[in-house]
Amino acid sequence: MKIDIKHIAKLARLRIEDDKLEKFEKDMESIVNMVDKLPDVTDTLELDASEPMALREDKAVTGKFTRDEMLANAPEVQAGCLVVPKTVE
Amino acid sequence: MKDYEIVVGLEVHAELNTDSKIYCNCKNAFGLEVNSQVCPVCMGMPGTLPTLNSKVVDYAIKMGHALNCKINRVCKQDRKNYFYPDLPKAYQISQADVPLCENGCLEFMVDGEIKKVRITRIHIEEDAGKLLHDESFAGSLVDLNRCGVPLIEIVSEPDIRSSAEAKAYLDTIKSILQYIGISDCKMQEGSIRCDVNVSVNEKGAKEFGTRSEMKNVNSFSAAVRGIEYEAKRQIEVLEAGGTVAQETRRWDDAKGVSVVMRSKEDAQDYRYFPEPDMLTIVVDEERVNKLKESLPELPNIKIKRYVSELGLSQTDAVLIAEAMDKSRLFDEAVALNMCSAKNISNWILGDISKYVNETGKTIDETELTAKNLCVLIQQIEKNVISNSAGKKVFQVIVEDGSDPLKVIEEKGLAQNSDTGFIEELVKEVLANNEKSINDYKNGKTNALGYLVGQCMKASKGKANPGLVKETVTKMLND
Amino acid sequence: MRLYEKNASELSEMLRAKQCSASELCNDVLDRINEVENEIGAFVTVDAEGAKENAARVDKAIADGEKLHPLAGIPIGIKDNISTKGMRTTCSSRMLENYVPPFDAFVADKVKSAGMTILGKMNMDEFAMGSSTETSYMHLTRNPHNTECVPGGSSGGSAAAVAAGEAVVTLGSDTGGSIRQPAALCGVVGMKPTYGSVSRYGLVAFASSLDQIGPMGRSVKDVAMVQSLICGHDPMDATSKNMEYPDYAAGLNENVQGLRIGIPKEYFGNGIDDSVKSAVMEAVKQYESNGAVIKEISLPSTEYAINTYYIIASAEASSNLARFDGVKYGYRAKDYTNLIDMYEKTRSEGFGDEVKRRIMLGTFVLSSGYFDAYYKKAKIVQKNISQEFSNAFEQCDIIATPTVPASAFKIGENIGDPIKMYYNDVCTVTVNIAGLPAISLPCGKDGKGMPMGLQLIGDKFTEQKLLNAAYAYEKMCGGFDTLAKITGEAK
Repeated sequence: MKIDIKHIAKLARLRIEDDKLEKFEKDMESIVNMVDKLPDVTDTLELDASEPMALREDKAVTGKFTRDEMLANAPEVQAGCLVVPKTVE
Repeated sequence: MKDYEIVVGLEVHAELNTDSKIYCNCKNAFGLEVNSQVCPVCMGMPGTLPTLNSKVVDYAIKMGHALNCKINRVCKQDRKNYFYPDLPKAYQISQADVPLCENGCLEFMVDGEIKKVRITRIHIEEDAGKLLHDESFAGSLVDLNRCGVPLIEIVSEPDIRSSAEAKAYLDTIKSILQYIGISDCKMQEGSIRCDVNVSVNEKGAKEFGTRSEMKNVNSFSAAVRGIEYEAKRQIEVLEAGGTVAQETRRWDDAKGVSVVMRSKEDAQDYRYFPEPDMLTIVVDEERVNKLKESLPELPNIKIKRYVSELGLSQTDAVLIAEAMDKSRLFDEAVALNMCSAKNISNWILGDISKYVNETGKTIDETELTAKNLCVLIQQIEKNVISNSAGKKVFQVIVEDGSDPLKVIEEKGLAQNSDTGFIEELVKEVLANNEKSINDYKNGKTNALGYLVGQCMKASKGKANPGLVKETVTKMLND
Repeated sequence: MRLYEKNASELSEMLRAKQCSASELCNDVLDRINEVENEIGAFVTVDAEGAKENAARVDKAIADGEKLHPLAGIPIGIKDNISTKGMRTTCSSRMLENYVPPFDAFVADKVKSAGMTILGKMNMDEFAMGSSTETSYMHLTRNPHNTECVPGGSSGGSAAAVAAGEAVVTLGSDTGGSIRQPAALCGVVGMKPTYGSVSRYGLVAFASSLDQIGPMGRSVKDVAMVQSLICGHDPMDATSKNMEYPDYAAGLNENVQGLRIGIPKEYFGNGIDDSVKSAVMEAVKQYESNGAVIKEISLPSTEYAINTYYIIASAEASSNLARFDGVKYGYRAKDYTNLIDMYEKTRSEGFGDEVKRRIMLGTFVLSSGYFDAYYKKAKIVQKNISQEFSNAFEQCDIIATPTVPASAFKIGENIGDPIKMYYNDVCTVTVNIAGLPAISLPCGKDGKGMPMGLQLIGDKFTEQKLLNAAYAYEKMCGGFDTLAKITGEAK
């Protein structure tokens, strides 16, 4: 199967350099051909109600972390905020 | 120009007023210092996992009941994948093919008619953070406090046919959210927002026209303006022989225009798939039923009842029903069965509204009780006191909650309706006002008012003004 | 005999009997790391200072007569995808090279609370994607039995450290065999617990529905001790099972009389080395002669396991790894023109090729128009595979298979061929797909002198039965010879 590597890369916010594109394309195609071999199953996927998820009680906890701790790993911080290149809608 | 029909579907996002966020125990609060309400979970730190807040499920089910939905007791959550700086995990946990509630309907009144809009679904999801832009700065700033604030998204079928219907629909949704106490609905805080789908088609056409989706509609009045603008724009396109493009547009309320955000070709591929960090949501039937029983009478139902059973005008019914404190007082007063619903309504929308507006209190914060209000109205209805005396009594009972009958007595406000007394009074006044009698007989009708006034003055305001007027008129014409 | 050579269970006794101190033990293992780490490369981060401080604390507690956890003072290495507060957690990726978590993973908290001495963080395939630890951005890890060979992966550092005596026990994570395969290739014991028995909170997610943290060590008892410590319900992980968990180490029992062992024929077909097949069958015979009942069984959907696994794991990974975008933590590209450019450069420079391949595959199988043909189908096959296991466990208690098709391959041998690399996991992925517990045990050496692995698979939440069966095999073998003689070229 032919795969539109550039489209998929765009969706995944990845950039495959031109010199690696061919090998990537080849690898991807062989991987997709590998995973393509699945039996023809027609069953529907039912939700598994046998293991209901436990829900959390609505109770806020404050003072768990400081803002500085939360932002300590950020590449760029200004005025207590993360900084990203200007976004325009 | 041909005759066109406007078709509108609405997606309302409402923030729920839970104590904690939907997937972590951070405080769900507005307006606090940037990035002060975040933890590793809502910041999407590697290795963190979501845990679902039970109240979010309860609240969504309540709304489902309020909109007559089928509740999917077994449902799941899904990931909606896209990259944006306000979305720390780069996916939003939402619900795709199996929402918590679906197939409902909402009835409300528009122009005296009952309008019915089908509800496609209600699902739970998390809000994103906020981007702050500042001219002085080259980049954008990200505040993640709002990440993980619980939302319900209420999606309607394209059953709305005008901006007025859209407005009434939105107002009804908002008042229901407030009635059942699950959202603060503070527009200015963005706690209720909507996306608007608009299409137009020639009247009588079998199929809908191509629709555009409008985002960034941040108030209900903006929704009205947006719908009107978008319908007009689409009609102009069609009239010019063009075709409407399926696209996502952004509403610019300041400029009053919608602009293209992305075309159909650029449609986002969200790659929804079941959230693997969570198991199936299973709500037991008993809980679903309990939540249904916990619902109060909803405002849209009240409006219908006020109009059809109590004879209120639609305008008055809406004004009372959409404010919880007004409708509570109204319902309590009507239930006492002491005076007419119409008079109760007039008092609530008149003096009581004026009082709460001036004092900034809610009705619940005043000393006014339904019983006292009814006693007061009853005294007026029975002509024991005049309407203007009633206003004086009201000023006292709303402040200190005292018994209106006592107030009437203490202030000596009861009027005298004894016919013998009034006849004597009128005779005396007429005897001293020859000139006015002549004026009246010569066709100067305002002389009547003067004479009645003189009688009231002579009685020190105690005489029943209706009876005085009646007696004066009778004697003048004799 | 030096302290680093001993097992956790022995050391625990010695500490209590004051035959050695936690500091002596810690220092001896740190010495061993200094001696061999240049050759092995098992660690991403060694925290000698923190380790020594903990050992001193434990010694003081022992001197004060405090009641301590049996594992207090035992040196442990933690795979570098498990969050450790204040200690960088890199996932062996450029993306997280300098990331320091502000919180502890559930298991890290357990380890700290028990007073275990954390030596540092173990090397791994980048984001746990790989079967050789060659995709690590940091450095290679070499197999102590032959440093020309890979240690397996993705928990290669965790396995190699245990085999080389650089740690007494370690924690790994297993998404498709990442504990068991390196355990087999390095000749140590490694267990992947039942999905839901060990909290994933703080484990940097690869494939959420398949990932599970588990212990590695040089004896079954050591593994049982660590498993008893790390298992348990965690309200922070919605997939964590709320039930009573036994003390597995205390419950160990070597009796296999009447134990029904299933042998699935699909795991002994083409592609499995003859030496591996015969080693595993030899082990099965030993069980039989000790009273176990051997049954041939069939798990027909096994042929679809690798395909199913790569679809589900990659789909989840593509979503789980989307958060690495240069905004909140981790690597950010230096030069960019706008937001999209920043995203693309950050992710392309921060991730290695294997991670990119999996993200691409996952993005593709979830993309519009392909979801039903890949992801949905894979989920249905997953259900079928689980059902086949359930049926099998009606006939038997334990299933025995090879862990890996062959012993460790040479470094660089498979790196250019992803498919060949993926088939290393052919015997292990089914266990993750079905959420079952499984353990890999040393099972002799092949003609090249390299270790092979016996995999025992149990039904859900039957870790005790599984560990008992493993313990029995260890006894039949007269103990496992798990400490490697580090050598450049095995005979």
